[in-house]
Amino acid sequence: MDLEELEKQVTNLEDINEIENLQKMYGYYFDNAMFQEVIDLFSENTESVEITDHGVFRGKGAVVRMYGGMVGMKRPGWMFFEVMQSQGVIHISTDGRTATGRWYTPSFECRPFGGTKKQTWQFGVYDNEYIKENGRWYFKKLHWNLTYWTSFERGFLKVPRLSDTPFPHADAPATAYHPYPSGYRVPYPFKHPVTGE
Amino acid sequence: MATLEELQKRIQRLEDIKQIERLQRIYGYYQDYGEWEKVVALFSDNAESVEECDYGVYKGKESIRKYYIDLIKGGKDAQPRVGYMSIGMQIQGVVTVDPDGRTAKGRWYGFFVEARSTLHRHEGELRQLWAHGIYENEYVKEGGKWKIKKLHFFLNFRTPYEDGWLKTPVVGHSGPSPDIPPDAPPTTWRPYPFGYHFPVHFKHPITGK
Repeated sequence: MDLEELEKQVTNLEDINEIENLQKMYGYYFDNAMFQEVIDLFSENTESVEITDHGVFRGKGAVVRMYGGMVGMKRPGWMFFEVMQSQGVIHISTDGRTATGRWYTPSFECRPFGGTKKQTWQFGVYDNEYIKENGRWYFKKLHWNLTYWTSFERGFLKVPRLSDTPFPHADAPATAYHPYPSGYRVPYPFKHPVTGE
Repeated sequence: MATLEELQKRIQRLEDIKQIERLQRIYGYYQDYGEWEKVVALFSDNAESVEECDYGVYKGKESIRKYYIDLIKGGKDAQPRVGYMSIGMQIQGVVTVDPDGRTAKGRWYGFFVEARSTLHRHEGELRQLWAHGIYENEYVKEGGKWKIKKLHFFLNFRTPYEDGWLKTPVVGHSGPSPDIPPDAPPTTWRPYPFGYHFPVHFKHPITGK
């Protein structure tokens, strides 16, 4: 082993850590309604953002359209989102320039629904891509798949989703919107760690 | 100043921890989609055992296969039933690599949201459940890859969504399967409210005890 190989190993570990932090910080910014900070996590060369059935938003300009309306918006004290970024599996490409990440997001929320405050909780799966530019990692593609969105009182078996939420200004309709009980499997971006298949 | 060799050892340890965390999280993802063949393939051919909840201990790779494929999946060709869901989040991992770098241990919380039947694993009315428990697992490095050597999941509670753990600590468990029996009885079937403290594998980071 020489210094060059060692440096590669260290870079790989650093890359994984930075990407994990990027994703977790996205979560904290989002939950704290810091949407300018959210926008700044995306590369100028962003491919797309797709969240639940909102539709596909393509390019950095669309990222601004997606989150920009919420910049500086004040939430009432009772309203909150806690989307826990969990169980991340990061895979760095061989050239070290791009990466994939799969995450689970159990989340607790209180938001207005049908004119009333509603305590709801959600579950979903991120299938994201990242890109390294000028030594920093950015989001290249963000895709969140909804598993369920239910009222706290009734639960996912009785109410798998409270409503559909397509956005009229999306560039394209959702590519994957298959909440419970569809049995849909979000594809894995990684290979089996033992068999390599 | 460390030598290149020492540095290499330290970096290897960091990489091992990352690989094992990844292995456990991927195990979770496969389990949640009922991809039991992929789960079995995460175990070493020299794996020691799998034990979960009150199902008993299945020893050796062949028994582990029997556990996942015959018992949990319900047979080689069984299809998941419509509406079945079991998402088991793998959280708060503490991984300890042994000094020789060949074996390791890991403790994790397993936090489950489920839609499944409770009288029988594979038939009956679906109910929405919460479950929580703790993993104390062992890993082994073979041919440069980390694999599961031993998997042990202690169940704290599995309760209907509507009831909660205080009212109904456990549903869906009736002991080891008579049809696909384990090699040994369960060793840690002490769900809530036993107050059982599943032992931690790691030493205190400050006192070393």
